[in-house]
Amino acid sequence: MNSGNRVLDILGLLARLAVGGMFVYAGTVKLLAPAEEFAYAIETYKVTGAQLSLWAAYIMPWLELYAGLLLAAGIFTRFNAALCGALLLFFEALLAQARLRGLPVTSCGCFGSGSSNSLEYEFFQNLVFLALTFAAYRYGRNFSADVVIRTTKESNPGKKTI
Amino acid sequence: MLNRKTARLAALAAGVIFVSTIAVLLARQFSLGPARPAPAFRTFGPTGAPVRIEEYSDFACGACRAAAGKLDGLLKVYGGGIRLQLKHYPLVNIHPWSLDAAAYADCAGEQGKYSDYTALLFESQEKWGEAKEKPGEFEAFARGLSLDWPKMQACAAAPQTRQRIKLEMAEAEMKGVSATPTFFINGKRAVGPAQFIEQARKFDNILKAAHCGSLGNCTELQGSQAAPGGKP
Repeated sequence: MNSGNRVLDILGLLARLAVGGMFVYAGTVKLLAPAEEFAYAIETYKVTGAQLSLWAAYIMPWLELYAGLLLAAGIFTRFNAALCGALLLFFEALLAQARLRGLPVTSCGCFGSGSSNSLEYEFFQNLVFLALTFAAYRYGRNFSADVVIRTTKESNPGKKTI
Repeated sequence: MLNRKTARLAALAAGVIFVSTIAVLLARQFSLGPARPAPAFRTFGPTGAPVRIEEYSDFACGACRAAAGKLDGLLKVYGGGIRLQLKHYPLVNIHPWSLDAAAYADCAGEQGKYSDYTALLFESQEKWGEAKEKPGEFEAFARGLSLDWPKMQACAAAPQTRQRIKLEMAEAEMKGVSATPTFFINGKRAVGPAQFIEQARKFDNILKAAHCGSLGNCTELQGSQAAPGGKP
């Protein structure tokens, strides 16, 4: 392996850990608070009604936690990187429409109700994470559970079981 | 058909998902999430008090009335040793006006008379608790305490007021609260006045331990004072 590839592999690993860690944190913070809290934050984006917001608030944090953990561990790396990327793009669309419509979103809900960064700040932060997600997708397969399992030799490959 | 290595990865993913789910559920059960503080008018005692009590209560519940009296007594006895946070958990299925009572109480609190208003709510809970029509007591108590009633009405109907109460209800449900009054005393659950009194018996020890902790080791201190000449 040449040194250029090695650098890219390490970059991929770091990107995976950063994006995965961020998703794990975001999911856990929401899961340890009442779902209604996050649902109120979703409602302020005026895209969904109260009932759908509550369903989203129940499901989304679990999705974030699982996708983040699997990405950080490198299990189905590409699939999870793509899933995290899709979630980030979805969040960007929500933030952008709220900004364009001038909605009074006081808490973006990104990291639970306690976070109160501006929409612009969260938008640009997500752009950074999108770039890291791309790096994780492109270069994040080394140093992963995927590689460890796929390169492990089968034990007793010739032995047949009844 | 999945090949064997993909199946192993899928099993590993399932394991990660299972373990993380259990970890989150346990963390919820032990209330490890960030605490949502009660508003200032529902909080009593200093921040660093050794005994921290969080009570989920319903103004139409008889046991909550009994507990309120006991809490008042404890606050008088232990003073700055207790930090009390009162939270709403109106049992809306059996007490149709509890949610409104909680909203009016908060609005009275915003006008500086939370304790006075809630004392009246508890005293007369039989009158308004199961009323068919909207009880007149809410207004009568407000006027009796010289509160601004139109302002209170607007405040009680405001989405922010209702949202705050509903979030406390959701928080209580996450902690497994299903009856009132439920207390969390330094994180330990007590349901009903009897369990609360049982826990309150330990307050002396908790306060003594905290006092000794701030002074250093009490045993050593007593020992050195008891034996100034070096002999016991």
